[in-house]
Amino acid sequence: MDFSQNMSMEEAFALAEAEAKLNAALQESRERFEQAVIPNRLNEDWRFGRPHKYATALAELLQSSIATQGEATVQHAGEAAVRITAEDEDLRQTELLMPTIGSDALLGMHLKRFGHGYALYIEESTPEPIVITYRGGELYTPSTFIMVAPGVKAHVIEHHIGIPGSCMLSTRNIQVAEGAELKVELTSKGWERYLCITNIQNMGGKVSHLTSHEDSSWVREETVAEIYTAEADTRLFSANSLGGSAVLDQHTKQIHHVGGATSDLLYKNVLDGKATATFAGNIYVAPGAHNTDAYQSNRNMLLSEDATVNSLPGLEILADKVRCSHGSASAPMDEEQLFYLCSRGIPPYEAQKLVAQGFLEDVLSRFKGE
Amino acid sequence: MDETPFQMDTRGAFSFPENHKFDAGFGLTEETIDYICDVKGEPDWLRQFRKDALRKFNEMPMPTHWAPAEISGVDFDAFRYYLSHGAKPSRSWDEVPDDMKRTFERLGVPEQERAFLAGVDAQYDSETAYANMREELSKKGVIFVNSTEGLKEYEHIFRPWFGKVIPVGDNKFSALNHAAFSGGSFIYVPKGVKLAQPLQAYFRINSESMGQFERTLIIADEGAELMYMEGCTAPQYDSATLHSGVVELVALKGAKIQYVTVQNWATNVYNLVIQRGLAMEDAEIRWIDCNLGSGLTMKYPAVVLQGRRARGEVVSISLAHSGQLQDTGARMIHAAPETTSNIVAKSISIGEGRASYRGEVKVLKGMKGCKNNTECDALLINASSRTDTYPAITVNGNASAVQHEASVSQVDEEMLFYMQQRGLTRAQAMSLAVNGFINDLVKEFPMEYSVELRRLIDLEMEDSIG
Repeated sequence: MDFSQNMSMEEAFALAEAEAKLNAALQESRERFEQAVIPNRLNEDWRFGRPHKYATALAELLQSSIATQGEATVQHAGEAAVRITAEDEDLRQTELLMPTIGSDALLGMHLKRFGHGYALYIEESTPEPIVITYRGGELYTPSTFIMVAPGVKAHVIEHHIGIPGSCMLSTRNIQVAEGAELKVELTSKGWERYLCITNIQNMGGKVSHLTSHEDSSWVREETVAEIYTAEADTRLFSANSLGGSAVLDQHTKQIHHVGGATSDLLYKNVLDGKATATFAGNIYVAPGAHNTDAYQSNRNMLLSEDATVNSLPGLEILADKVRCSHGSASAPMDEEQLFYLCSRGIPPYEAQKLVAQGFLEDVLSRFKGE
Repeated sequence: MDETPFQMDTRGAFSFPENHKFDAGFGLTEETIDYICDVKGEPDWLRQFRKDALRKFNEMPMPTHWAPAEISGVDFDAFRYYLSHGAKPSRSWDEVPDDMKRTFERLGVPEQERAFLAGVDAQYDSETAYANMREELSKKGVIFVNSTEGLKEYEHIFRPWFGKVIPVGDNKFSALNHAAFSGGSFIYVPKGVKLAQPLQAYFRINSESMGQFERTLIIADEGAELMYMEGCTAPQYDSATLHSGVVELVALKGAKIQYVTVQNWATNVYNLVIQRGLAMEDAEIRWIDCNLGSGLTMKYPAVVLQGRRARGEVVSISLAHSGQLQDTGARMIHAAPETTSNIVAKSISIGEGRASYRGEVKVLKGMKGCKNNTECDALLINASSRTDTYPAITVNGNASAVQHEASVSQVDEEMLFYMQQRGLTRAQAMSLAVNGFINDLVKEFPMEYSVELRRLIDLEMEDSIG
């Protein structure tokens, strides 16, 4: 610890205390990785997720001698973007403290391959969206850090693009300061296996987070949004159209550490072919986090006989004066809407596409704030 | 059992000197099973069956990965597995705590039943009170006996369905029940017989109905209809602290079964019950479930919709006050086309109580035109109350519709204020609001239960607010 000369006694104590807390948290986290086992069928967070198939394969790959390979580029970032290296201890520590939803063991393996991707320190509002693109080889393990300074408005778009047979385990840490406004979009495409662990820490800004995945055989998303002040406004969106035998496994947590804040979630999927979509969400309202508003909604449209939906919308409320609700609905396409379009001369196949588009469009327009 | 993981609630947690004629001692071993079989005079196949189940029970792990952590507090060696009140324990009404007497008074429980419930010498004369009804039942060919008698006298009906709806290896507690079961009812209602009066566990003679490893099998033959009621809203004293019952319902083509349970055990009781029904073509099964007592309840009534157009319903109310975890819910398995199901669950958490809804809805592959509707609402009374919701919904295919809604709310301050300024006390106002919250569901209960339930909520509110 280095004491700067202008520091008062109180400040020095506060700093020492914070440092002790951090060290304790880091120690706890290291132990968490030591104890973590590769997700198996007893891991409730992997329920319906077929861990014996997907987690095992991913873990084997991460532990193998195959090198991490991929290409990271960034556009319109100006001074804000910094390329991550394996020597960046601060960022590594940040990742070490990241929560997962059932995949601690895999995050531990990611940490061993730490040193790829971009960190964005956004201190000024940008006119154009910052675009990060990760193109993967056989195995790619990038990390993204997005830090938005107080009062700054930003828009970040992330593309994760794979090639046939490629695998990715990526981590994303998003910190939004007081009064900041951040829109983040994540799209993934073309992966054999894809796991993305995201942690949003909202200190009092407005965050809108949108994900959408296409053309991958297996995608798992673990998104934990942590809310630290009453002013925080957090919105999570996802819209996906799945076909073939695609598997999408989405897990979310909205953690309200303090009262008075708002969070909202809307995840919608359209499933065709033999696709499977799993959504497991959880709203956690900590003891004393009174006057919380938290919502969660999962909607699925099934287009084929062989499509499967698993939906687990959970709530854990330990506080008072909370307005919380969650909803989940899975149903076929509305026959009346189809009939209407067909009666206007649109062929059935086109009509089906239009209705499905309309179903997902709602998510996109809410993300845009329309 | 002095040490329980729960905070003790003094109400109902009292004991009497016990004097059981048959007591198999603590823990469950092969010897315990031999003892039970000898006392009950059971055939060899059943003895072997129980022993096989015991082996399974010992092999199976505790369901710790999904279940509430409190379940690891169950110490199987600390319980007694067979008690028979062959010799009537002698207790007098004066020994019953005032608390309990007050509750009986307020609930309006009839004099005779009070004594029975309080564990006072059970001179509850079911024979005379219900003799006419019993005669009528047997005229219609209805079998209504306890499970021991059922296996002895009606093996040809009982055995084919025994353990078919809930197999031995279904889970650890199902294996436990298969090994140690005693008590419970066996009911068979013949083809086309519709019973106008509900059947009650009370009025069966040789009543072992309150058995801790209760085993109930109800078969409604084609087109038959019945309602079965067990338990009561009054607090119940019980010396056994582990309850692990198995209830199996079979509704054949076009039959209807309604099963009503109300449970208000003392808070030193683990109430871990498995209830499952099998509904064939056009059949209907309804579980009406009310959990008020016990320290840890884990109960998820299920309906397997096995035949076309079968219907399942679960109506559930649970109330958790400090020291209680009510982990209740429902399961609906749509295994045939055009089946429909409905789940309505309401929970109330008071003080530091915790109420959880845990549910599973499954529409199997290729099943067309299935519909499920699930609603769960939670009401939190105090700032330290807790509520959780853990549903799991699986839909295969594009020809079924499933929806789930849940909400969490508090009693509206303005509503309370309005009632208080009209002259009600805060407790009365709160009680009125809570009764309003569960009003729709209470209507589903038989008359006497719903009246008792309302009074009980009044009492709870007085205790926690007034």
